[in-house]
Amino acid sequence: MISTLSKKHNFSIVFNSQKIFRLLLEAMSNPARVVSISKYASKLVGEHPAFLAVAMTLLDNEVSFHTCKNQSLSDEILSLTLAKSEPLESADYIFVSNPKDAGYAIENAKRGTLADPHKSATIIIRNDDPPVCRLTLFGPGIEDRITVHVTQTVRDAIVMRDGQYHEYPEGIDLLFVSSMGELYAIPRLTRMEAE
Amino acid sequence: MVNKNYNFAFLDEGSKREIRRAALKAVAIPGYQVPFGSRELPIGRGWGTGGIQLTLSLIGPDDVLKVIDQGSDESVNAENIKKFVGICTGVKTTTDTREATLIQTRHRIPEIPMTNGQILVFQVPIPEPLRIVEAREEATKKMHAEKDYAPMWLQLYESLVKYKKVTVSSEYPCMAGGRYMMNPSPIPKFDNPKLHRAECLYLFGAGREKKIYAIPPHTEVVSLAFDDVPFERESFKGKKCRLCGSENTYLDEVFDRETGGRFYQCSDTSYCREVRSWS
Repeated sequence: MISTLSKKHNFSIVFNSQKIFRLLLEAMSNPARVVSISKYASKLVGEHPAFLAVAMTLLDNEVSFHTCKNQSLSDEILSLTLAKSEPLESADYIFVSNPKDAGYAIENAKRGTLADPHKSATIIIRNDDPPVCRLTLFGPGIEDRITVHVTQTVRDAIVMRDGQYHEYPEGIDLLFVSSMGELYAIPRLTRMEAE
Repeated sequence: MVNKNYNFAFLDEGSKREIRRAALKAVAIPGYQVPFGSRELPIGRGWGTGGIQLTLSLIGPDDVLKVIDQGSDESVNAENIKKFVGICTGVKTTTDTREATLIQTRHRIPEIPMTNGQILVFQVPIPEPLRIVEAREEATKKMHAEKDYAPMWLQLYESLVKYKKVTVSSEYPCMAGGRYMMNPSPIPKFDNPKLHRAECLYLFGAGREKKIYAIPPHTEVVSLAFDDVPFERESFKGKKCRLCGSENTYLDEVFDRETGGRFYQCSDTSYCREVRSWS
């Protein structure tokens, strides 16, 4: 008897990863610019396809991750990428599926050192609420200043991060991803103008 | 003709992922040299392998690639890199700066201003600007951590005292984002101002030295200078390109051994060609 095997995910590790990386690069280079990874995230199944798409693009057995008590997400990322699941304090990539965990994650994520600022965490936060706050941002990648409408989650995350008073180049880079696959970045040098 | 025996863009996916992670960190920390595990390529280290590894990690089937070497689209280095990337990706290549989505360069920034969607990848031989004053990597890393750039300032000052001018002609150091001293690769001083608050993303890859660094768009990049001795780029006053007549471009000096004559022509060959097509 011949049976047909089909793959659970249709995500191309070569071509879809490349597309998502370029979108991530565009987002990091142009803070607060919204890019859409939905076309590629839709090739992954599960509760958090956008998270999985980012994980498939950046993670492998060379780096570690943390999912803030979301065991099913942790299992899925582990099986797809072979990255190491590690405690929040030492994880390279932190996936926050419940925005209520964002504050704790930002407070405790590794910030790198003055000599090795790249050994810092990137926090990817799920961001599905409607935008209710107006922020003015500035920093590298932004021409002068930019005013954006963001969710309370985003505002709170930036306030929390800036409140840590990391000594640059130490810092944490933030990515916000909606379940629709809309993504934008707030790297460590992007600052919020006083309200 | 694409060689299907290779993975798309030659490198294995693990290598690409590491370079991509390093590139994202580099963008987040402008001017900081992110270490990465530089891979073996079918090209000797020192021949643009850092730039090539970045290009191979960035490139996708929809990209249009341009490669320039000292401004020229047709040099051996540029042609061979284009052929190599073409063989393992099949992407379209171009000599038109505006058409390219990805430009790899050795030692020049195109004369035509690049736009926000474009990426310029530099091949960098020596990424460490402090290497001329400090040989030990461990020490330069500490100097960057402490923002201790006094020896470099002293080097420039000594140059002024000895020669009445700063004698650094290329690889002129600059400060990225007000924090990191960086080597803009061996571009002429003429190109340094193009790094400041540019529209495009600049990525720098040093294969032999295993470092990647970046300047995101709209980032402050200031060439080192003293209050009373401002930064000066090369001047071509009174000279013009013998082919297109441009007076505002970086010019190569060409010496004719038989006649003994000297003449000048645009270093950026595609720009020169475009100007000639206008007339």
